[in-house]
Amino acid sequence: MNTRQLNLNSRIRSSSRTVLGLQKAFLAILLVVLAMAVFNLIPETRNNFFSEANFINILKSASIFLILAMGETVVLIAGGVDLSIGGMMAFSGVVVILLMNAGVPIPVAIALTLLMGVAVGAVNAFISVYQRAEPFIITLGMGIVLTGAAQQLTNARSVSSTLPDFQLIANTQILGWVPILVVVMLAVLAVTYWMLRSTSFGRNVYAVGGDYEVAKYSGINVRRTKAATYLICGLTAALGGVMLASQLNSASSIAGENTALYVVCAVVVGGTSVAGGVGGAIKSTIGLLLLGLLTNAFNQLRIDSLVSYLSTALLGIIIVSILWLDSYGRKRRREAV
Amino acid sequence: MVVASAPEAPSAPEALLHVKDVSKAFPGVKALDRVTLDVRPGRVHGIVGENGAGKSTLMKILSGVYEKDSGEIVFEGNVIDKITPVQSMNMGLSIIYQELNLVNTMTVGENIFLGRFSESGGRAGVHAKAKALLKSIGSKVSTYRQVSELSVSDKQMVEIAKALSFDSKLIIMDEPSSSLTADEMEKLVQIIHDLKSKGIAIIYISHKLDEIFGFCDVVTVMRDGRVIATRDVSSITRNEMISMMVGRTIENEFPPRPDCAGETILEIKNINTRKLKDVKLTLRKGEILGLVGLVGSGRTELVRALFGADKVAKKSIYLEGRPVKISSPMDAIRLGLAMVPEDRKLQGLLLGFSVEQNISLAVLARLTEYGFINTKEEAAVGDRQIKALNVRTPSAKTKIRTLSGGNQQKAILGRWLEMSPKVLVLDEPTKGVDVGAKYEIYLLMKKIVEAGGAIILISSELPEVLNMSNRVNTICEGRINGEFDPVTASADEIMAKAFEFA
Amino acid sequence: MSAATQPVGRRVSPRAAGDFLKNNPIYVAIALLVIVTSVVEPKFLTLNNFDNIVRQFGVLIFAALGMTFVIMAGFLDLSIGGIISLVAVVTVTLIDPIGQGPAILVGLAVGLACGLLNSILIVASGALTQAESLFITFGMSLVYGAVALMYVQGVTQFLTYSESDISIFEALNSGQIGFLSVATVVFLVCLAILAVIEKRTYMGRSVVLTGGNKVAARLAGIPISRTIVMIYAISGLLSAIGAIVLISRVTLADPTMGTPYMTQAILAVVVGGTALIGGRGSVLWTVAGAFLLILLNNCLNLLGVSSYVQFMIWGVVLIAVIWLDAVKETRVSG
Repeated sequence: MNTRQLNLNSRIRSSSRTVLGLQKAFLAILLVVLAMAVFNLIPETRNNFFSEANFINILKSASIFLILAMGETVVLIAGGVDLSIGGMMAFSGVVVILLMNAGVPIPVAIALTLLMGVAVGAVNAFISVYQRAEPFIITLGMGIVLTGAAQQLTNARSVSSTLPDFQLIANTQILGWVPILVVVMLAVLAVTYWMLRSTSFGRNVYAVGGDYEVAKYSGINVRRTKAATYLICGLTAALGGVMLASQLNSASSIAGENTALYVVCAVVVGGTSVAGGVGGAIKSTIGLLLLGLLTNAFNQLRIDSLVSYLSTALLGIIIVSILWLDSYGRKRRREAV
Repeated sequence: MVVASAPEAPSAPEALLHVKDVSKAFPGVKALDRVTLDVRPGRVHGIVGENGAGKSTLMKILSGVYEKDSGEIVFEGNVIDKITPVQSMNMGLSIIYQELNLVNTMTVGENIFLGRFSESGGRAGVHAKAKALLKSIGSKVSTYRQVSELSVSDKQMVEIAKALSFDSKLIIMDEPSSSLTADEMEKLVQIIHDLKSKGIAIIYISHKLDEIFGFCDVVTVMRDGRVIATRDVSSITRNEMISMMVGRTIENEFPPRPDCAGETILEIKNINTRKLKDVKLTLRKGEILGLVGLVGSGRTELVRALFGADKVAKKSIYLEGRPVKISSPMDAIRLGLAMVPEDRKLQGLLLGFSVEQNISLAVLARLTEYGFINTKEEAAVGDRQIKALNVRTPSAKTKIRTLSGGNQQKAILGRWLEMSPKVLVLDEPTKGVDVGAKYEIYLLMKKIVEAGGAIILISSELPEVLNMSNRVNTICEGRINGEFDPVTASADEIMAKAFEFA
Repeated sequence: MSAATQPVGRRVSPRAAGDFLKNNPIYVAIALLVIVTSVVEPKFLTLNNFDNIVRQFGVLIFAALGMTFVIMAGFLDLSIGGIISLVAVVTVTLIDPIGQGPAILVGLAVGLACGLLNSILIVASGALTQAESLFITFGMSLVYGAVALMYVQGVTQFLTYSESDISIFEALNSGQIGFLSVATVVFLVCLAILAVIEKRTYMGRSVVLTGGNKVAARLAGIPISRTIVMIYAISGLLSAIGAIVLISRVTLADPTMGTPYMTQAILAVVVGGTALIGGRGSVLWTVAGAFLLILLNNCLNLLGVSSYVQFMIWGVVLIAVIWLDAVKETRVSG
């Protein structure tokens, strides 16, 4: 079975990911902020990057991805991967709105949707953990199924909520300026951080991803632990979908396009290893913030219309460079004489 | 030789562990044959034997990784039948494996209490308890460090601390010294003495005689899956022990030694890497050169460096008198070098491919014209080698996965023989190969050198090296430190040199 | 271990044929689908329809052919969506300045160059695992896609030629060679070349050997780096051919038009039976995989199933294939 699993046979470790004692992704964030500060000194390129509104904007746009990234982080640390989160997000957004439009009370609709997310996670877990099928493809397929289901339910059109209260969930501001969406995001972050760091389950997740056999011989129920991570990932993806639907007051089947790979990349850029065993909630947050900041910074500069495309290109280049450096570092260590 | 005489040893304390007539067979190999053993509390029980003697198999049965086929195991008066590794640890039986059993990506403290995070009081509890345990064995390793950053010696300390965390009554150490420096070894000996004084029994597996005589109380010698004898260390001499380990050779276990060495074909003037220091080596045409050293002595690194499989710092190699540049296995093959690697499954075989495709691999370039593989020629190559080497396979198209270890190995040999190599490196060519196939491989080696090839033979089985090679070099800590004529030199002499530590 | 017998074109005994079908349920599935569809729609089994299928699913088939080699060698190429978009816009915009033929050649060269760039990044970084190749090519797909967007400023380009008509593209879309369409002929030629490379050449053997066991293959003198360069170059080139077939059909180039094809190509390869871990597979299997998907699509269309449900069914097929494979593997290895 070792050879079957994409992640197990690649003993990728990212222990020396730091430059000057700082994480690469964190360093990159500092660079972006610094560059924006310099741009703000020049009259021609002065912008609103450092405004409070933009700050909230960055947080808001990162929030949904961050909620998804927390579940994905847990799965990756355990040595799995879940590419169904994009489809899950789109599908759960559609489901929650259709349920409410059909007259189901808001809390019940949300609860049912989250439960559905866990159930889909359970299917992923059953096939890829208990039946030992390649999780990369299984979850890719599950993403397709969910996207197709969302399309079928909505006829590939955007559906809006008929209840005005629903959009309040994400958009109500507390303390004057913080949207509830951001609060939910911070709560998910906090819970994931605590769970990974300070609970038996969380530590077992690291052990399972770090060395499956050793974990097994140490009496950890490796399969149940790994399976649970898919359930968590399904839950966070569904929550992300519900929050997105609430934020926009609508849902569409195209919402999740490319989301899964973007989130996995952000998580990996942050320093979580695809081989399992290494990573954390804060690392993933930094990775996601870096990509979010970059996009935002380019939108702020608005030098000309090329820029929004350039930002995507840069995003790609950043992902490639950080991961390239990782591979290259491993190669150097492998060949050290 | 008669199996296992009960030790006349101290009758004082009751046996903590009682192993009786335990047998275990793997496909094609009888790994353990009616092994009987008693281990008493507060004693260090050494187990010696060459590679493949069955030491590790026995330990894996004790710790629950393997299941025994027959026999009886009693630990503290409880009959152990089926047991999982966790149950065995909880009973007080811990094992410290050669390939250490730690999660590299986690901290020291967490590894000690792996899977017992909450029970041990969460983060704070784990690290406090781990610190206390490490302190009790005199280790100052920070419990917050990641295991991947530790030296082998520190990792061993962590393993010992882990064993102690289970209140172990018996700790099994599987060749713990294989990668320790002299200083680190001293520390380990100190800890063994401490554990002993606490009444903990220790099984110490090794093939270094110094260690057995240094601090073991009782020693059991194993060979070919059998217990040859169990004695008090004080009542056995070094030479006795070596002759029990090496054993007498069975008649006709080896074909007559080839005798056709000619002029020098390969000369390594210098190889330097992290593990190798100024290695020099000469090999003559028609010669089998035995390379004897412990696992980790640099013997595999040497041939890998020669073959271009690893990067090296400095290297100067002469083939047939001319300097050659070998920076990849491709270069080596082009020059007529061949290597049968140590790990057959990982480095040698393409398990999902047919016997024929596994054989044609090294001559594939020769079978190619204008980019096309001549499949007829390829089939002919496969058939020829299957016949010549007597590879037992249903057909040339059969997947090599389904063949026995011996036949797989013969197919890999065939891969290299097809290119008629000038120099053939054999790294543990008979590991996991049954006796019959072994003999065939020896015959092949003889044929190769008689046809003008030259062989470097690495083997952990000393009799093999002694009976097959024309000359023996010993390698120790990355240096070639001795040369012997296997006809006149004794096994003890060569082993003593290979075990020599600075 | 599935697919114990490879369809190498040698004579097979009835028993071997039975085993083959048992191990490759995909052919049974295709046969069933053909029968069902033919009963429902007698016109289905015509050359004309076959031509239609190739035209309609041209990109998918071409991209999947290239992806097959990448997956057989134990890697992945997620950049083909970006390459298809980039090649499409470059080709269409160059028709007026340099003419149809040269534009197509430049388009193919761009595809090849993108593939080579991927392979250089992978070889130079020493990335040996599928996961590493996955992330690097995903990053590059963003880059290629963004370059395409920048190049045309996000504007869809229409396939026109001010000096004359777009003859080459029209020929590609609706021309006939004998009784086959030009697109089908191009497809069959590509398939034949790749099949020959795979079955008969040193390159092709290197690909499966690399996927089978990189370490052992390298120690036996197989040029791993050269193999990696070749598989990504082929993948880039085939994506480019697919892109040109695509624009000739839809007569426009959109800078995001390549996006869906990455998933579809992987789907076709894996459904065909090529092992995701490498070392086992065939472009012929991929054609079978692609045709299964297309037939399924056709069949469901005829049965009036919505295209969204069809999309879902693709996902279900993907899961089912991999799941069955895993179950079989567990049974074999015990």
